[in-house]
Amino acid sequence: MLFQVENLTSGYGKIDVVRDLSLHVDDGEHVGLFGPNGHGKTTLLRTISGLIETKAGKVTFQGEDITNLDARKIVARGLIHVPQGNQLFPRMSVQENLTLGAYVARTDKHKSSNFEKVFSLFPRLKERLTQRAQTLSGGERQMLSIGVGLMGMPELLILDEPSVGLAPIIKEELARAIAEIAASGVTMIVVDQDVELLLGICERLYLIEKGTVSLETADVSQVDQAEILEMYFGKVT
Amino acid sequence: MSLEAIVAIIAGGLVSGSLYALMASGLSLVWGTVRMFNFAHGALVMVGAYSAWYMSNRGGLAKALQPLGKSIIESSENSGALGGLLLPLGEWLVSMRGGFGLVLGVPFAILCCGLVGYVMYVLLVKPFVGKPGADLVVIITTIAGASFMQNGVQVIFGPRYKQLDRILTGPPLQVLETAIGLQEVLVIVLTPVALLLLHFFLKHSKLGMAIRAVAQNDDFAHLVGINVGQIYPLTFVVSSILAGLCGVMLGGLFFILPTMGAQELLFAFVVVVFGGLGSLPGTIIGAYVIGFIRESSAYIFSLYWAPVVLFATLILVLIFRPRGLMGGEES
Ligand SMILES: Nc1ncnc2c1ncn2[C@@H]1O[C@H](COP(=O)(O)OP(=O)(O)O)[C@@H](O)[C@H]1O
Ligand SMILES: [Mg+2]
Repeated sequence: MLFQVENLTSGYGKIDVVRDLSLHVDDGEHVGLFGPNGHGKTTLLRTISGLIETKAGKVTFQGEDITNLDARKIVARGLIHVPQGNQLFPRMSVQENLTLGAYVARTDKHKSSNFEKVFSLFPRLKERLTQRAQTLSGGERQMLSIGVGLMGMPELLILDEPSVGLAPIIKEELARAIAEIAASGVTMIVVDQDVELLLGICERLYLIEKGTVSLETADVSQVDQAEILEMYFGKVT
Repeated sequence: MSLEAIVAIIAGGLVSGSLYALMASGLSLVWGTVRMFNFAHGALVMVGAYSAWYMSNRGGLAKALQPLGKSIIESSENSGALGGLLLPLGEWLVSMRGGFGLVLGVPFAILCCGLVGYVMYVLLVKPFVGKPGADLVVIITTIAGASFMQNGVQVIFGPRYKQLDRILTGPPLQVLETAIGLQEVLVIVLTPVALLLLHFFLKHSKLGMAIRAVAQNDDFAHLVGINVGQIYPLTFVVSSILAGLCGVMLGGLFFILPTMGAQELLFAFVVVVFGGLGSLPGTIIGAYVIGFIRESSAYIFSLYWAPVVLFATLILVLIFRPRGLMGGEES
């Protein structure tokens, strides 16, 4: 098992947002998380990547305990978190953002080939290399955000709501790119409201409600998806 | 206005602008990254000037080391092989009784200021980072730090004015029949070099880029693996070195005394707000604009009216551009 969260509890101040949550991701697997807004998905991801303190429970990555490790040490191990809301360094160029994505030492030798990978995935970024991140369109910012994540050479790539707020055409383009990353063998956790998008990428899904896992699917990639959806979650569209 | 006066105002404006630019860029860097104002920044100017003086002047470290040099020479005469080894050191120390010069003085000032900046961060800023109201608390702690440094220097070096040796000696430069001192010329020429170095550091070095990254989005900086906790002290060190350079230049132009830097700090604040908080290009342009305003109002009215004209200009600019000249355009 590549990644495991056991009985995790975390939150803000005295308020627990994530409660006793457990999930796991196998090597090469793509796992989707979805659920209503404000139920702790982002908080879970921020706890995993070391931005928020773990109050109880354990996070294991590549067989080692990474609970409450500094964020930069977690990144250095290849657990890369692309945060919600296409966060970037707004007044830096596309190129500078991507360069900073390769900040950790283990990526040093592969920088130029990683640039090529990102450009072949998102050709628009190559056209806008010198443009400031804040002047990009929403879709382009999301692409750049994922591109920055890829520059860090993820062993586990975590995407928080990559499709939120995007026009349908851009969303499709992005979904294709994410599927391509998945197909290239990168292990992933994807959080999104759009279950259909998740079904196109993931083998397993977790439904997160009130800060914990309320449903977990078996492998959904081999069976009829509509049926699966109804079986687990009632009528979803 | 005569041509002579115009040249004098331009030269004076360039000198003042240079000093403000060095000082305000550090202030702006710290604000942009740590989101705090460092009120001990003026004291760092003073530390830079004193440490350069201490290393370079014959009244400083060289004088203090004379007895040591002499006793090494004496004792080496009646103590075998080891004494023979130490003898050149003793002779060298005695031969340096005229001071170690600015060649050692300037690097020493940079070292001291970097060190003081780091210690200042650890003692006065770090304990409050991330706590509510930290920006206000740090105003108080850094004012206290400044006062401590000023009094400390007064105790160590005494209240008598000091002055740095001139790097260039010779007759002043004649520009359109106006004399401009060589020291002034040096300040005008070297400041852009220092600012260019700063630019390259921030734009092209890994650590410099990390400083800008933290300034723009510290959350995301964590997620690309930047050691954000290390960037804050680094920013203080860089900013303190800039203040130290300003001190060395001031010390070559005017007298060195424990309270120096205080007035410059006031002007540097004006520059930072005028140029747009956190914007380095805005700060540098602002510094030269303020320099020119100061020199021309000093010429037209009098030196005492210069601050009045300055603040009036600042208020006017803020009415029309509340975020300063280049606010929101941070580097
Ligand atoms: N910085 C914060 N401080 C306090 N509460 C927060 C903060 N961020 C999120 N929350 C609260 O935590 C809960 C979960 O939010 P979040 O993890 O963003 O949910 P999701 O990603 O599932 O939409 C919400 O009730 C939200 O209001
Ligand atoms: Mg969220």
